[in-house]
Amino acid sequence: MAELNYQDLGRKLLTAIFGALSALKLYPIENETVQQALTELHALVEGIVTVDGSAEVRVVGDFFFLNETRLRLDLTNFASFGSFARALNDHGIGAVEIMGGVTREEWAPFLSMLLRPADAEDPFGSFEERFAQAPVTHISLRPASEGEKPQEDEEALTAAKRTYAQSVKVAQEVLGDIRIGKAVNVRKVKRAVQGIVDQVLSNEASMVTMTTLRDFDEYTFTHSVNVSIFSVIIGQRLGLDRLQLYELGLGALFHDIGKQRLPLEVINKEGGLTDEEWDLLKEHPTEGMLLLFQMHGFADVPYRQMLMAYEHHMKIDLTGYPQSRRTREPTLFSRIVAVADAFDAGTSVRSYQYEPWPPDAVLKEMRDNPKRGFDPQIVRVLITATGVYPVGTLVILDSHELAVVSKVNPSPDFLHLPTVRIISDSLGLPLSEHKTVDLAEPNPATGRPRHQIIKTTDPHKYGIRVSDYLLS
Amino acid sequence: MLTDSEGTTNEGGDILDWDEESLPVEGVRSLFVTLGKAFRAYQLYDENNPVRKRFVDTLRGEFESLWGELDALAVSLDEDHIYLGGSEVYTSETRNDSLAFLFFKDGVRELTFLPGIETHELEQLLGVLQKARKLVPEGDDLLTVLWEEALQYLKYRYIDLLAEGVSLPEPGAGNTGPELQAVLAAEDEEMAAQEEDGAAAEDGADDSPQTVSQDDFNPTLYALDPREMEALRGELKKELNRDTRADVLKALFDRLEEPGNRERQSEVLGILETLLPNFLSRGELVAATNVLRELRRLEKIQGVFDEQRISESRRVVDGISAPESIHELIQALYLGTIRASSAQLSSFLAFLRGGALEPLLRESETVEHKQLQVVLRQAVQGIASQNRGALVELLDEEDPLVVAAAARLVGQMQVAEGAVKLSALLRHAEPPVRLAAIEAAVAIKASMVASSLEAILGDDEREVRIAAARALGELRYTPGAESLATVIRSKQIRRADIAEKVAMFEAFGLTAGEAGVAVLDELLNKKGLFGKRESSEIRAAAALGLGRIDAPGARSALEMATQDDDPVVRSNVNRALREED
Repeated sequence: MAELNYQDLGRKLLTAIFGALSALKLYPIENETVQQALTELHALVEGIVTVDGSAEVRVVGDFFFLNETRLRLDLTNFASFGSFARALNDHGIGAVEIMGGVTREEWAPFLSMLLRPADAEDPFGSFEERFAQAPVTHISLRPASEGEKPQEDEEALTAAKRTYAQSVKVAQEVLGDIRIGKAVNVRKVKRAVQGIVDQVLSNEASMVTMTTLRDFDEYTFTHSVNVSIFSVIIGQRLGLDRLQLYELGLGALFHDIGKQRLPLEVINKEGGLTDEEWDLLKEHPTEGMLLLFQMHGFADVPYRQMLMAYEHHMKIDLTGYPQSRRTREPTLFSRIVAVADAFDAGTSVRSYQYEPWPPDAVLKEMRDNPKRGFDPQIVRVLITATGVYPVGTLVILDSHELAVVSKVNPSPDFLHLPTVRIISDSLGLPLSEHKTVDLAEPNPATGRPRHQIIKTTDPHKYGIRVSDYLLS
Repeated sequence: MLTDSEGTTNEGGDILDWDEESLPVEGVRSLFVTLGKAFRAYQLYDENNPVRKRFVDTLRGEFESLWGELDALAVSLDEDHIYLGGSEVYTSETRNDSLAFLFFKDGVRELTFLPGIETHELEQLLGVLQKARKLVPEGDDLLTVLWEEALQYLKYRYIDLLAEGVSLPEPGAGNTGPELQAVLAAEDEEMAAQEEDGAAAEDGADDSPQTVSQDDFNPTLYALDPREMEALRGELKKELNRDTRADVLKALFDRLEEPGNRERQSEVLGILETLLPNFLSRGELVAATNVLRELRRLEKIQGVFDEQRISESRRVVDGISAPESIHELIQALYLGTIRASSAQLSSFLAFLRGGALEPLLRESETVEHKQLQVVLRQAVQGIASQNRGALVELLDEEDPLVVAAAARLVGQMQVAEGAVKLSALLRHAEPPVRLAAIEAAVAIKASMVASSLEAILGDDEREVRIAAARALGELRYTPGAESLATVIRSKQIRRADIAEKVAMFEAFGLTAGEAGVAVLDELLNKKGLFGKRESSEIRAAAALGLGRIDAPGARSALEMATQDDDPVVRSNVNRALREED
């Protein structure tokens, strides 16, 4: 029996569904574009059903499964994934099973129904009722499992906590060892980064949540881990495979390693640095590269990681530091780390840095100010992952309630409409039960979003630690 | 607590809760015996070896037959044993090649083989085990290797050492205090004021970075269009094919060029010293050449290096020029580890210092590959021309092969300062060395050496005697005529073969000139008592000696013998006359 490449087929299938949905949204069913999209979709599904007997597309959280294979999200498919996931979620559909014998004609009614607004009260029940009357006999639906999902989320969060805590501990050990000149256990670092890659691939949202833990440990250690996490997230969207993500994550974790050669008085200095101290600080990329030459335990000389350490402050126009005498173009991995580094640093309280900016403001600055020297495309890739209001952003809603962004909307069209946890009422009275609201969810009466963000604000001003509201 | 290969953690293992009696213990035992053998075969034999192939095929068959009885094969293990349920299915007498210990030492406690491993991942699994066995303590362990290999048909659970002593982050209660209210009220007021200001301003611009703007809702500002996505894919492809080593080297040289940080310069030079053998071991000759080229360039730029750094930089090149390094290089060229064109090899060798001369000379003498020999000889000459002193020193080497080659090179390169040592070499125990020294003496036209040549006209080796004579002749070393006259009159020369006779007589002619005509005429033409003449060979050689003298007397002597009865004499007389013409 022929074996199917589910990753490849799954991506093609979701792209075909996205194409058919888009065509149906724009044209009448007789239109040639619609017909062609349906033909392509049907041919793909037939290929799977012929071999496996049936095809099940299941959506769990941010992820799709095709016959139990989890489909990887990357730059080529996140739009189609997000769009179809949203359509299914709106109607409370958890899984779509296509059985042998399905005809091409059955697709149009199913997809057209998905495009209609969902019933606010009982989305799945209402859909199912209408679906039963449609001329569709080989496609069956299952509701999104209410009981299963929170538990999965909880498990994912626990796993993310464990990975994060272990990684921070490893970063602490390694950076500490380097400072005192002790040999580094690279194996531990590798294991930690492998854990980060696994967690990002299996539950990206939980790992992003962990990056909001600002006071879990010293900034140096959590920052290293956060940069690794954000880099892997960006890399995943660029289509890097597991081993490439690992290479990237490893370099990202080591990106500031050179600071361990600088005096602690400079690294931990509160307030502004003198010019001399800044000059010293600017040496850390070079020191990082040199330090990595001393580190044993890599199968090969870690050139790529060295470049990530060396180039992450260089800026794409090379106006940053260290300055280059020879021709140079910072590597893609270095540019990714630069973006991840700046985003985490900009949103964190650092010893020698100013007040942290709200995450959305950091993203905007990185996106809009070319003098910052970030690769604009990579910044935008980061935004597709974090949303316009990244997880952990404290926002004021149009209802004047305070809320913490808890989840990014996976649809590229709704990156500005995250899910939030409301933590106070409109008078500022803290809520004992935090209400989770999807800002993309429309008010059925008006068809417009129920809530809107009107302002992002500084958690410190409110004495708030955002992670308190996200880790529970 | 065990962590599984998917990275999830759980307390218990349900894989062992089987009905013991229904387990195919014998089949599994046999499978692990075969796995152990296949593992050893992997260590001992290469890919195409039939023994290795046979074990792998047997193992494949055993897995296949097992799937008739099990959905998956789940086993637990301790240091020395593997268990199926409660039954031991594998043990090894030594830990050295024990499968159980190989897994156990890195924390693995349970393994689950899934159907399909025999067709999809058997070779990969054996490769992983083989790799794991060779791992060094400071590098990877089995878990990191298993993660990288991402086997789909082997699941495992392990004790995660990273989890030891780690406390998980837990959420706090959040801020439940009343200050929230006050801050929010103040912020509301601020927003209201801003709104009023905004309304007053015509453009309605919002100065607050924290108040949401219309840009936030414009997907074109953050979404990537297909063209950009394509460009990023291109970037990724470029990244993965990029020569990151070259980028790092450029960075190292950028920093090395900064004279402001001497300590760092030393560190970089130390790194380069370490990298060069690394490049060569991988056959990356061009990269090594670039390093040497850059070092030479920086050494020449005023002020980049101080004296200490120059000496450190030279130490890098000296290291790569050391005999051991060159020996390795030659080995690598023989073994094909380094595949370089002649031009690439020449470029590299051109940067080497004097230390490389000795091994390169030796190799250039013995190498069978003609093209390589040419390259090596060119390189040797290049290095020698920059290190004449080092070349002369090689004349003191013990290895006669090297001494001889060095002597020849001294001659070819006209290294006059080698003349004294060449004289000494004329007395060297090894004839090839003496011969090379003679060759060199002629090449550099060293009269100092010529005087020593006389002494070896009576050398034990015929070749040396001939070469010495020819050298004296070629040098037109007049003082040598006397010694040669003695030789040509001696009994020994009469016992010598024709070639030696000719060499001696010609040398005599060349060194004695007109003064030698009488002696040679006598030997060619004069009859002794009872009308007896010299032997044909002596007379022929004398004729050729006369042929070397540009004087009327010599010609007259030759003409007298043009009609000689002896055809050998007659023929050589005519030849000598022709050569005179």
